[in-house]
Amino acid sequence: MRSALAFAAVCALAVLAPRTVEAQPAPYEGKTVTIVVGYKPGGGYDATARLLARHLPKHIPGSPTIIVQNMPGANSIIGANHVYAVAKPDGLTLGTFNRNLPIAQLLSVRGVKFDMTKFAWIGSASSEATILAIRSDLPYKTFADLLKAKEPVVVGTTGPGANTHDFPLLIKEFLGANLKIVSGYSSSSDIMLAIERKEVDARAGSYSSMARFIDRKLVHPVIRARASEPGIEQLPVDEALAPNPRAKTIMALRSAPEIIGRPYVMPPGTPDQLVRTMREAFAKVVNDKELIAEATKAKMSLEYINGDEALKVMKEVLAQPKDIVDEFAKYIKFGE
Amino acid sequence: MIEAFVEGLVLVLQWKAFAFMLLGIGLGFWVGLLPGLGGATTLALMLPFIYTMQPVEAFAFLLGMHAVVATTGDITSVLFGVPGEATSAATILDGYAMTKKGEAGRALGAALASSLVGALVGAFALALAIPVVRPLVLTFGSPELFMLAIVGLAFIASLSAQGGRGMLRGFLAGGLGLFVATVGQDPQAGIARFTLDTLYLWQGLDLVPVLVGIFAIPEIVDLAVRGSSIAGDRPQGRLGRGALEGVKDTFRHFGLTIRCSLIGTFIGIMPGLGGSVAQWIAYGHATQSAKNAQELEGFGAGDVRGVLGPGAANNSKEGGSLIPTVAFGVPGSTSMAILLGGFFLMGLVPGPDMLTTHLVVTFSMVWTIVIANVITVGVCFLFLNRLAALSAVRGQLLIPVILVLVFIGSYTANNHYGDLIVTLVFGAIGYLMVGAGWPRAPFVLGLVLGKIAENYLYISVARYGAAWLARPVVLVLIGVALVVIVYPLVQARRARTRKGAHA
Repeated sequence: MRSALAFAAVCALAVLAPRTVEAQPAPYEGKTVTIVVGYKPGGGYDATARLLARHLPKHIPGSPTIIVQNMPGANSIIGANHVYAVAKPDGLTLGTFNRNLPIAQLLSVRGVKFDMTKFAWIGSASSEATILAIRSDLPYKTFADLLKAKEPVVVGTTGPGANTHDFPLLIKEFLGANLKIVSGYSSSSDIMLAIERKEVDARAGSYSSMARFIDRKLVHPVIRARASEPGIEQLPVDEALAPNPRAKTIMALRSAPEIIGRPYVMPPGTPDQLVRTMREAFAKVVNDKELIAEATKAKMSLEYINGDEALKVMKEVLAQPKDIVDEFAKYIKFGE
Repeated sequence: MIEAFVEGLVLVLQWKAFAFMLLGIGLGFWVGLLPGLGGATTLALMLPFIYTMQPVEAFAFLLGMHAVVATTGDITSVLFGVPGEATSAATILDGYAMTKKGEAGRALGAALASSLVGALVGAFALALAIPVVRPLVLTFGSPELFMLAIVGLAFIASLSAQGGRGMLRGFLAGGLGLFVATVGQDPQAGIARFTLDTLYLWQGLDLVPVLVGIFAIPEIVDLAVRGSSIAGDRPQGRLGRGALEGVKDTFRHFGLTIRCSLIGTFIGIMPGLGGSVAQWIAYGHATQSAKNAQELEGFGAGDVRGVLGPGAANNSKEGGSLIPTVAFGVPGSTSMAILLGGFFLMGLVPGPDMLTTHLVVTFSMVWTIVIANVITVGVCFLFLNRLAALSAVRGQLLIPVILVLVFIGSYTANNHYGDLIVTLVFGAIGYLMVGAGWPRAPFVLGLVLGKIAENYLYISVARYGAAWLARPVVLVLIGVALVVIVYPLVQARRARTRKGAHA
């Protein structure tokens, strides 16, 4: 018994002693940070998280180990609920999920337990520009040409809630383009194949996923949403062509989350100092030469949008009056 | 072309590429054996390791791993009745039945030998298809893919017991499969169907927990109730020579093995049909080779042809699914979608270039599939009799191990407790089906084809109206579906008249 007490005393001393000497221990030293990804391994959200997990430790004082945990289901609502309500706000959990989750909250989707504005926002690791691209062998070179189309232009989509679907849907509804929307393709690459065999004429989606098909002159972009990327700045923007303020608001609401293309948050109540440390690390990591080299190889481009900006977008999306929300819900469903 | 073919081989045999391939094979070996942990997930996790490799090394590593998953997956299916992979579930029907008869060695030998034949056929198809791949894939639009799904569903007729009652049960089980496939958010209107107000069911049921439940749980219960070893008190005398017997079976039914390999390759080439379809159609085709009623009833009770068919098809489809990935940059399966990411990392843009400037790399992939499978099958044969001896181990010792593997395997699907509930629920359904004599194969066929059939039918009608029915390939496939449905009836009639002649 006495020896056990002595042992405990020695242990306590051993633990306490260095603390009194070191002025400021790094809070992340020897710790493991988990990035909770709301999808299975293999997709874009997962790839970004794994890239960050490899390079972030260099930029966090104390160089913690960073691991990725996949928590798929319900278009990442399950993962977001976990980070919001279950994970401890001790700075050791990061969450990344579907950029459209604010839309899910806006439309009061059942099962949503989070409030987007209450997360401790780190920011976004990139923005995703959405474009509509049409087959290059069709006679329509620009969006103006497309508006004059007599025959309906067939757009292949994966289904409601995906940008492949919602973006052309609003263009059809509000800008009067003669589009025929055919949904149910199992993935965006399936739509691309349907374009190759001329089953469909056009496809919407992120610019990054279509760039190589544009390079190959299979399709060319004619219109984009608010977020832009080098190479497509000159395209007309859907909101700018809106016939009335209401339509403009609906379109803006749909595209707002795309600016926060790869959202990263910490659980609500995470201490400010830890949030600040993580934000600084994110700001540095996107300029990390090794990360840029890897990202370029994988045809990904990262860009840091800071947490305050992300929070502003969330508030903007969620502050809509009821009549706008009802109108919006007529066209847009949460999904994918 | 021939130069590139040889050069591809030389590249793979360089010591570094070869070493990475061996590493990949070692990984794939375990991933295949363990239920649940799938080839696609492992590929995604291994992707970061290829940053510093040369293209040939990277693909030797990734493909070496991927090529053997289906091969070793068959081992788990045959030995324990637990699907090692979602793509090797069909091997259970006759493979595990053979194990129960004390023929584990023979079943494993047949599964491995047919896997090797399948892999070789798939690889050569990849090599041969290179000039014609673009027109071939572009011929199959949504209406054609819908009809392919219907042809697949028509195989329910072959997978059911004979007679009106058997057919009725088969098609009802298939209908149940189609119904289960509708769970989740539908892709046309975005409505949540049969999700019981849970988030877990929103994206539909994952194949792995369902398959593990419906096949493994009834067998585990059965094993526990019998209180003996898997092979029961059957004589184990032939165990040692069994493996060789299985290899001989492969050549005894060589025509069937080749045909099933071709079925697998073809389904692999079609993007959007999914990896787990091939094995079931191959199994359906294998049952068509039964010459009389007794033989037909033997399927599901341990006919070696029921092992050869899916064994060959689930390996040959890998070569096939590389074809659209390489030629169009459009992946034929989830694994291929991840492999596509590997292409980018290597600075290769899949597409027409892969068939001209990078032809050597493409051929090196063909060789990797071939060599990886030869090595794996060789290594497996060394251990085969030891593995087969597991079927003589007392059930009480095996059951805890199998149960742990089953539930961990299911849980890897979504890392969610819902996976475990799904396993138990479908385990109960599977148990009831076995007890009441309802066939499980049609249920699974309905499940894997349901979503495909629904989506492509919707797209076909939305895009072409009724005109899709008049497309030439669609008409041919309607004919094929009718033949597939009628064939078992012809089989039965032939068997009856032969019996009549004898009397």
